[in-house]
Amino acid sequence: MADRPVLEVHDLHVTFRTENGLVPAVDDIDFAVAPGKTLAIVGESGSGKSVSAAAVMGLLPSNADVRGEVQLDGRELVGLPNDELRKIRGNDIALVFQDALSALNPYYTVGWQVAEAYRLHHDASKREAHQRAVQLLDLVGIPAAARRANSYPHEFSGGMRQRVVIAMALVNDPKVLIADEPTTALDVTVQAQIMRLLEDVQTEFGTALVLISHDLGVVAEAADDVVVMYAGRAAERGTVRDLFQRAAHPYSLGLLGAMPRVDVPPKPRLTTIPGSPPSPGSITTGCPFQPRCAYADRVGERCITERPELTPRPGEGDHEAACHLGRRPSGV
Amino acid sequence: MPDLAWFVVRRLAAALLVMLALSFAVYLIFYALPADPAHLACGKPCTPDRLEQARHFMQLDQTTIQQYLNFLRGIFVGRTFGEGAAAVQCNAPCFGYSFPLARPVTMLILERLPITASIAIGAAVIWLLVGVSLGVVAALKRGKLLDRLAVGFALIGVASPSFLVGLLAILVFGFWLNMVPVNGYVPLTESPVDWAWHLITPWLVLALLYAAAYIRLTRAQMLEELNLDHVTTARSKGAGEARVVLRHGFRGALVPIVTLFGLDLGGLLGGAILTEKVFSMQGLGELLLSAVGQLDVAVVVGTTLFSAFLIILANLVVDIVHGMLDPRVSHG
Repeated sequence: MADRPVLEVHDLHVTFRTENGLVPAVDDIDFAVAPGKTLAIVGESGSGKSVSAAAVMGLLPSNADVRGEVQLDGRELVGLPNDELRKIRGNDIALVFQDALSALNPYYTVGWQVAEAYRLHHDASKREAHQRAVQLLDLVGIPAAARRANSYPHEFSGGMRQRVVIAMALVNDPKVLIADEPTTALDVTVQAQIMRLLEDVQTEFGTALVLISHDLGVVAEAADDVVVMYAGRAAERGTVRDLFQRAAHPYSLGLLGAMPRVDVPPKPRLTTIPGSPPSPGSITTGCPFQPRCAYADRVGERCITERPELTPRPGEGDHEAACHLGRRPSGV
Repeated sequence: MPDLAWFVVRRLAAALLVMLALSFAVYLIFYALPADPAHLACGKPCTPDRLEQARHFMQLDQTTIQQYLNFLRGIFVGRTFGEGAAAVQCNAPCFGYSFPLARPVTMLILERLPITASIAIGAAVIWLLVGVSLGVVAALKRGKLLDRLAVGFALIGVASPSFLVGLLAILVFGFWLNMVPVNGYVPLTESPVDWAWHLITPWLVLALLYAAAYIRLTRAQMLEELNLDHVTTARSKGAGEARVVLRHGFRGALVPIVTLFGLDLGGLLGGAILTEKVFSMQGLGELLLSAVGQLDVAVVVGTTLFSAFLIILANLVVDIVHGMLDPRVSHG
């Protein structure tokens, strides 16, 4: 990490005020990403990945309380008035959604939608914005971009739609791109194309990428650093090699065991993590992963009574895991 | 465009079939009634001779089927009732002849239409503006006082019978406050100001009743639309709230609103029976109502067919507009 991080998140807490009381969705998350680098946030559904991203963008509903620091190039975003945030959204930080069909407005042509993103942040004529849109559609690999700019989202295939969404996100040369499961809805071959596209964009423009994913295959290929989230908290963080070669948290190991691999001799069955993730706020004491943890017995009562904090682990850089097991669990 | 022309031709052909079946049904229903229109025409005292004469003159002595065929023929070539000097001429397109009113039905409808159209169109403009804007505001202020008020207003509107609201309005604004004329109609060509002044109460009464449905529909649609991913996309692009709500949220709510509006207006143009009665306006609804009372079959059939035609026409227009509003329909 030679470069200064462009986006830094410290002690991020997000709490939702609901009819059933306060629900903590994100609890003390830290991450940072440097220009041209990729940070992956990994976890199951409901682990707080997407809420973290929405918090960075200031896109949470009004019943969400955000605490902590979100710094873009040293500028604090938390607590910024909505009008100021609006100028940053889509301009300095852009978002790529999972489902490109629902992320695009069915009533406008893709060219119009990309041009709109440009005109929201530039004093450009419709014509100029349209030209810029065509240029971006071409850049992300839409064939015959000038003609296709006048087509509607439903006239595109899934992969092409995701390219449109990426073009829309890139149109203002953002410093940070947050991609929320950008390939989940796509075929495997198309997934690879989209990830390649994102990589090319990063090399060319030096965009920092926050990749939110539950697909460890995608993460292994694309990410530099990884944060593994569980029940709104960071279970483990480190470089991608730390995670794949020296995973220290049983949950990370569980995720890795559940991933099909071709580089090691095949196991008769993929392992699964028993149980399901806890609902936010339901576990107040001890380790949130403890009820599903295969190693809790080795530690004993401490897992139930004391919440593990992130502690340094051996690795390349700042490899940390929140687990009472002192040593890397063996036997996986 | 040839697709559209073909679509319209097909729909109009279908409309003709529907109206043919409808006219036949109306004929059958009225001839099944035990009352005899010739009795009314014959006067008192009614000798069997004169009754027979009247019956022959009104062509009621023919079979039901024959009468119906005469009616169909009259549309294209016109009809003549009776012979010699006493003959009554009904020129093509003849949709029947009203003996009690001594006018061809076609003329009656054309005379009454401007009155009904004045009531319907004026009211429609008001309820569309009020209903839709209140619906949007209610959706944006969901659960707040403004929302409760709008929904409450809608509930009152839906539950109120038009004759009651109409009579109350006449009582309060016409008699007590003496602000508006209590009845009568002034043609637009005579004096636009008097025209509007006489119509303002029926407009507001009708608008109150209809706006209710538009508040509820718009509110429900907006709540749904504003939750869609592409609205979040618009926000993440940096669009301001007004743009998010109107360009991206409201755009999607437009189709169902336009559909309801087209059908409501089409239905109302066929005659606002109660409103016309309450405000003593000689529109199509009043024409139909008195025709039923006088067993004036020709007028009942004519106005019924005209209403049906308007509703079919409204459906057609709605379908065409739907195609223009939703690219997924027109660019299928």
